[in-house]
Amino acid sequence: MTIALETRDLGKSFGSLVATRNVSLAFEAGLRHAIIGPNGAGKTTFFNLLAGNLRPDGGRVLLGDRDVTHLGLAQRARLGIARSFQRNNVFMDLTVLENLVFARAVREKRTAVFWRSLRSYGDLREGAEAIAEKVGLTGDLDTLARSLSYGGQRQLEVGLALACDPKVLLLDEPTAGMSPEETARMRDLIRQLPGSLTMVIIEHDMDLVMDIADSITVLDYGSVLTQGTPTEIRASELVRERYLGGAAANPAGAL
Amino acid sequence: MASRVFLRRLIGAGLLVAALAGCKLSSYFTQDLIAEAAILAVFALSLDFLATCGLVSFGHAGLLGVGAYAFGGLTVLAGYSPGAALAAAVLAGLIVALAAGVLAVRTTGAFFIMVTLALAEMFYSWVFRDRTFKGADGMGGVPRLDLSLIGVDLNDAASFSIFVVLLCAAIWLALEFLIVSPFGRTLDAIRQNAGRVSALGGSVFAYRLAAFTISGGIAAFAGAFKVQHTNFLSPDLAGWLASGDVLIAVVIGGIGTLVGGILGAAILVFLKDFLSSHFGHWYLFLGAIFMMVAIGLPRGIVGWVVELRGKRP
Repeated sequence: MTIALETRDLGKSFGSLVATRNVSLAFEAGLRHAIIGPNGAGKTTFFNLLAGNLRPDGGRVLLGDRDVTHLGLAQRARLGIARSFQRNNVFMDLTVLENLVFARAVREKRTAVFWRSLRSYGDLREGAEAIAEKVGLTGDLDTLARSLSYGGQRQLEVGLALACDPKVLLLDEPTAGMSPEETARMRDLIRQLPGSLTMVIIEHDMDLVMDIADSITVLDYGSVLTQGTPTEIRASELVRERYLGGAAANPAGAL
Repeated sequence: MASRVFLRRLIGAGLLVAALAGCKLSSYFTQDLIAEAAILAVFALSLDFLATCGLVSFGHAGLLGVGAYAFGGLTVLAGYSPGAALAAAVLAGLIVALAAGVLAVRTTGAFFIMVTLALAEMFYSWVFRDRTFKGADGMGGVPRLDLSLIGVDLNDAASFSIFVVLLCAAIWLALEFLIVSPFGRTLDAIRQNAGRVSALGGSVFAYRLAAFTISGGIAAFAGAFKVQHTNFLSPDLAGWLASGDVLIAVVIGGIGTLVGGILGAAILVFLKDFLSSHFGHWYLFLGAIFMMVAIGLPRGIVGWVVELRGKRP
């Protein structure tokens, strides 16, 4: 088995709060990995450490064989770690097509050009349209991002990450705030992404996680509680007690 | 409805025609004001171009001052020809902006305002004290470019005003094309969402630094013409009041519209002239007008017109 992305003894504290505690995880290439855990378990901090938004206090991040611990967000993106954000983070004043064409231009390192217009990059349009199709926005190419529905912006959010030609795609709560229909659409969208793509997904929707994930990691208080297949996680007493059905497992009903 | 880009360019073309007509038809005094407005407009363009990537400087007069002092110093003290001094002034602006930008563009918002202000005040206090440039007294005798080769005498007020109006138009057009280039669109993307540009793999720092450097070159260019216009070099060119004036011009005209800076510069120069000839406390009135525009038309006059009348391209 090939490891696409790996952390070794990764740690991060904010003052006295330990957000990530000695996390050593290996994400196998070509699988969909989910990270779950209660609010405040350190999921997003861990993501920020993977993507390069944050630098760890200790430990390492490896992309394949390459140590990327000391690289920033942009450098890691260029090496193939792309991320989406929990809150919509798109270019609101651009259309869907412009968002994706721009992302492709950055990807192909063709933005340091000032003697022609970005609109003259007709060849980037094809790639951008292909991504729009993948994320279900073909009908909204000329819609301003700020005029899209919330779910549409969420889809564009994933599209921008895909435009980076990632080796590893990090999705931070792709269905956060979505209606059931939008969630179903996002699930189909994630399912249809190429099998070669390694994905790490933070998600609260357990049905979605159990449905799409090949492997699940449970974080709690910044540490790895356990890791396994959806069947194993569902069967785990520990997970049931600490996370999935914490209240039900507690006879007193106290939280 | 016309596209927003078209409307912006229409306003620019209108201003150009009005300015050239003014240079041809009006009195010496008005020609002088047009020249002053055109030079302030170039300066405003440099500031507004920087705003493309979301940075608003409050020390831009420092960069204007670099160009002014390089030009004045080299011509008056070192005997350079005005042409060579102009090239050197722009180069000095680019280099100083590059060096200052390495510090400044790491910050944004209020911090960027404070860093640029501090850097500009450092330059100001240096030229204010240093006797090389006659300190606070300033230094006269700064010559204008020699265009006798093409039969133009820039010491003639009409010729000088036409010349600087055309220069302003040329810089404006160049920037209009620059902002739609992949480079320019990246600056706009950084203004909208710098974090996402990083996440896509773009270097926000490098692009902001490039924008700051280009902006510094243009500001220095404006500075070299400002001292040619008045033939006089003074530290006030580089003081924070001058940084404030150009910011007022850009905000009145419409930040992020380029042509708004030109319109704002014209309004500021003519309004100042009108107010100062009628009232003693004319800055008071200017401040009131500035506040009304800032509150009533937060995107400036051009931003308001373009949004009202123009559809998105």
